[in-house]
Amino acid sequence: MIHRRIAVAVIACSALATAAEALTIQVRDQGQPAADVVVALDPLDASVPPSAGRATIDQVSKRFVPHISVVRTGTSVDFPNSDQIRHQVYSFSPAKPFTLKLYAGRSAPPVVFDHPGLVLLGCNIHDTMVGFVAVVDTPYFGRTAADGSLAVSAPAGRYRLRIWHPDLAAPVPARTLTLPGDGPTVTVDIKRNAAPAGVAPWLD
Amino acid sequence: MQLRTRIAVTFLALLGVVIGAALLVVSYASHRNAELEVKHQFEVGGKVLERVLESNRRLLTNAAQVLALDYGFREAVGTNDAATIASALENNGTRIGARLVELVSLDGKVIAATGPDAAAGTVFAHQALLEHAGATEHRETIAVERGHVYQLVMVPVRLPLPVAWIVMGFAIDDASVHELASVTGLDVTLALNRGGAWRAAASSLDPAAAAGALAHLGNAGAERNADVVVYTRTLETDAATPVTVVLSRSLEAVRAQFAALRNLLIGIALASLTLTAVAAFWLARNITRPLQVLTTAIESIRGGRYDTPFSLKRRDELGVLAEGLEHMQHAVESRDRDIRTLAYTDRLTDLMNRTAFTEALAQALAAREQPIAVAIINLRRFRRINECLGYAVGDEVLRQIALRLGDGPKLSVALARLGADQFAAVTPLGPGASVEYWGTQLLERLVQPVLVSTQQIDISAVVGLASAPRDASDADELLRAADLAVESARRDNRGLKVYDATLRVATREQLSLLGELQRAIDAHELALAFQPKLKLGTGELVGAEALVRWRHPTRGLLMPSAFIPFAEQTGFIRKLTRWALREGARIASSWAEDGEPLNVSVNMSADDLADPGLDQYLRQTLSETRLPGHLLTLELTESGFIGEPTQALARLELLKTLGIKLSIDDFGTGYSSLSYLTRMPVDELKIDRSFVIAIAGSPQATAVVQAAIEMGHSLGLSVVAEGIEDKGTAADLAALGCDVGQGYVYAKPLFLEDFVAWRRAHDAATARIEVVAPSETVVRRLRAGRRNSSAG
Repeated sequence: MIHRRIAVAVIACSALATAAEALTIQVRDQGQPAADVVVALDPLDASVPPSAGRATIDQVSKRFVPHISVVRTGTSVDFPNSDQIRHQVYSFSPAKPFTLKLYAGRSAPPVVFDHPGLVLLGCNIHDTMVGFVAVVDTPYFGRTAADGSLAVSAPAGRYRLRIWHPDLAAPVPARTLTLPGDGPTVTVDIKRNAAPAGVAPWLD
Repeated sequence: MQLRTRIAVTFLALLGVVIGAALLVVSYASHRNAELEVKHQFEVGGKVLERVLESNRRLLTNAAQVLALDYGFREAVGTNDAATIASALENNGTRIGARLVELVSLDGKVIAATGPDAAAGTVFAHQALLEHAGATEHRETIAVERGHVYQLVMVPVRLPLPVAWIVMGFAIDDASVHELASVTGLDVTLALNRGGAWRAAASSLDPAAAAGALAHLGNAGAERNADVVVYTRTLETDAATPVTVVLSRSLEAVRAQFAALRNLLIGIALASLTLTAVAAFWLARNITRPLQVLTTAIESIRGGRYDTPFSLKRRDELGVLAEGLEHMQHAVESRDRDIRTLAYTDRLTDLMNRTAFTEALAQALAAREQPIAVAIINLRRFRRINECLGYAVGDEVLRQIALRLGDGPKLSVALARLGADQFAAVTPLGPGASVEYWGTQLLERLVQPVLVSTQQIDISAVVGLASAPRDASDADELLRAADLAVESARRDNRGLKVYDATLRVATREQLSLLGELQRAIDAHELALAFQPKLKLGTGELVGAEALVRWRHPTRGLLMPSAFIPFAEQTGFIRKLTRWALREGARIASSWAEDGEPLNVSVNMSADDLADPGLDQYLRQTLSETRLPGHLLTLELTESGFIGEPTQALARLELLKTLGIKLSIDDFGTGYSSLSYLTRMPVDELKIDRSFVIAIAGSPQATAVVQAAIEMGHSLGLSVVAEGIEDKGTAADLAALGCDVGQGYVYAKPLFLEDFVAWRRAHDAATARIEVVAPSETVVRRLRAGRRNSSAG
């Protein structure tokens, strides 16, 4: 519930900037709605200045919550620890290598994701804890909801549509969308592995 | 097999069987144990191997995991700090002694590596491991790197998702194989299969032995070592090169300990066999040696020596046996002595018996240095002494004769009683000594009557003499010669006769004649001669005695004395008598038919009286010849009744029923008692010619003849005198009252034609006794008789 509110807030902020075209991205995995799929629309006609937003990735029951996060470059992310045990969150991803010292509660300082890219989160104590943070240079992004859809408002223009999920069997090629021409609904079909061997590559 | 050997062999065989069985069992058990032990070792070895591999795997896994989890290392991996990575790999590898440590990217490239068989930047050798890496945390394999075998473990490096693999491995080399071998007690060989052929990558064995062990995997060309048993375990590998651990064990080594046990057992067996052999032989000797002593002693007893000492000083059964044998020896000796005495001594006279005498004679002949003379001495009429005076007296007579022959100056070197009244003596003849003289000396000792408890008994001896080498060379022949001589003397009524060759020739002749007798009957060579019997007073012919003559084709006319005695001895006399009876009956019958009946007398021998078919034969003969019985007289000698008087009497009675007449022949020479005479159904008495001849000038003989005549008459018998040779005797006999005379004075025995002619010419008147006065003796005798009778 919390992360959804945050996502809605982010999208609302973007919408305030310009008059926007509504676009719904519908992602399906073999005909079924695919949730938690990262969707990013990179504007091709205009550059978007970085924005220092805030986000939170909680640690609940030795899991990162949300498991998959999408943030705009420059977002400062809090890593509260809701567990009774301590965690040591780290990442060796080139987009944002960092280490939070072993901590509990909210003692850890926020981490600013200042480079676009995919950041894998881990806990040095608990190897099973894996989290993904997709850092994008666009204000038009989000994760599909349980029904596999994501509603985006963006000004008219051309965009590069990026679709990503760690379990993707094959990378979804980036495609160019023109708003409003391609709207209001774009359907993307993906295929995910039930037992993935690794992490699907991130499209920069 | 000797007893000793048999005992020893039995013992040894038994022990051998037992020990053999024990050895067999031990051998089987040790063989089986060896196999079981090896099997067990293999099981243990297999487990140890697995445990070692497992332990290695854990060690490797742990080390790899520790490394993979090390934050610093992760940081180095995350930041691609190659130098740090490499040093971390080396450090961790060294820590556990891993030969190979690599960091391999997920797509199979060696990021960093330590160890001789790895190099950074190369393609990871075990791509297959990566292929099914998937979600698996870690994996392991046995891998071959450049000919070296490694036990590899792969552990992912997570950041937090797997980004690379730490590959860590121990080399399974000679050192580790030796260690394994020392833990398991087995030989360990690591075999690689390259192109179908197995090769030892590492081995605790020397190369040759390793090749031998590998041969069990089916390597062509290598000689399989049969003494080695192997246990193989194929290890999981990623590559196409199968790796197999070969645990092997030389059975020889395993069996060596059992062999030691077996050798010990064999040693014990040999020792006990040897001891047993010695003991068995000792025991057997202990038994058989005394047995040998006893056997030797028994042998000498068998040989007739009774002085063998049974010197076994033992308290066991053998000692008792020896003692028993010793006693037996004495018993046998004394019995042997008795038997010897019995066998060689005449119990009655204590002289030698025939056996002893024959032996003594044979010895004397064998050692002959001078001529040897043998005498056989018979007593005349000894049987009569026994019959009249009893056997006790007879025995005493024989004893006294024996004493006389042996007494005084020795006349003989050996003296024996051969049987009944027959004695024998032997002496060497000195130079110039005469056999006759020696015989006379012997005879002289037997002239005096024998005195038996005041009773004087006249004896008359006959001596037959023979000498070696003149008459014979061996004992039997010499005795036989003496025997012939004594028989001849007896026949001729002489006291002494020296053997001469004619005796033997005669004997031989008689024997051959005997063989011809049967033929003679068939060929009608026998004929009867008749001697007339005349009434002494009137000269009237009253009968004829039929006498057998043999007209032998080559020997001429033979008298009965030439063949009758031997016919009697062989039993042929019965046939001869039957022939004479039939012939006599036939002739008498023909005379009767011619109207000139004449009684014919036929002589019977003693044996004829015993002929059970005689009366039947006579009956048949009389009926066939139609001869009236009273025309036939059977002349019997007294000796005919002596053997079985009762039976003889019965037979005579039977003959008498045929109507024939019976006559007692040769009266006075036999020994028949008067009681028999009175009971015998006889008709006639024939006084023996010896008395008839003797009456001339002998008052004693005259008295005997007169008594015989008177006795005959008193029994109602006709008295016949035979052998009358002169008219004087005939006159005397007539004067004495004798009824019938027979003799040369009237006629000799004549063949049938001559007899018939004589009968025709016979003039009773001329034959009548001429008026010749009886002799003085007879006249005196008759006078005395009349005096006596008138006085009585």
